[in-house]
Amino acid sequence: MMTNLSYREKSLYASLAAELIVYGPYFFLHQQNSVNKVAGMIIGIIVLQIILQSVIAAFTRNRVTDERDRLIELRGYRAGYLTIASLMVLGLGMLWFHAAVGHLRLDNRMVGLHFLSVFFGMLVIADITKTAAQIVAYRRAL
Amino acid sequence: MPAIRNQIRELRALREMTQQELADRVGVTRQTVIAIEQDKYSPSLETAFKVASVLGVPIEQCFQYDPRGKR
Repeated sequence: MMTNLSYREKSLYASLAAELIVYGPYFFLHQQNSVNKVAGMIIGIIVLQIILQSVIAAFTRNRVTDERDRLIELRGYRAGYLTIASLMVLGLGMLWFHAAVGHLRLDNRMVGLHFLSVFFGMLVIADITKTAAQIVAYRRAL
Repeated sequence: MPAIRNQIRELRALREMTQQELADRVGVTRQTVIAIEQDKYSPSLETAFKVASVLGVPIEQCFQYDPRGKR
């Protein structure tokens, strides 16, 4: 099956796998927010992406990207932008609501770490959406 | 039914050309050629002209527009 995928498609599958491997444990298993954990995650995703993309590039002879690849990439960015915009509106709405009814009772350090996780989570969801949207577009008719 | 249909597969077979060969000469990926032949992707005007030129036929012989078809 891999021989029927273009270089760009293989790259996307590798990106999605890296994102799920690195971000999944953090958001589903972690117990406490931490700046060090977020920094570790960022370094981890960068290293894993470099490794996976290098392997794919080394084993792919034809690395041409054409108009269809660029069109699908634009669709991915559109999906990612809509996702992060929606999450931001939702997040701001919830923040306003909790502040208005007095539920927001976090000390200063917790507020910072909480928002770090929330905003980073939004970015991660949008990035995964962007990648997944491109993978779907490659499988379907444009 | 797609709005734009093509006979690229038949024309390519007549010239004993592989999908990769056509892709290389047009400047697209083999997967794009596959998508075009399967009516999953309508190429740009420039690419359509290149395909017709490589296959040695007028563009109307390669691609047909059906106003009743939908995208």
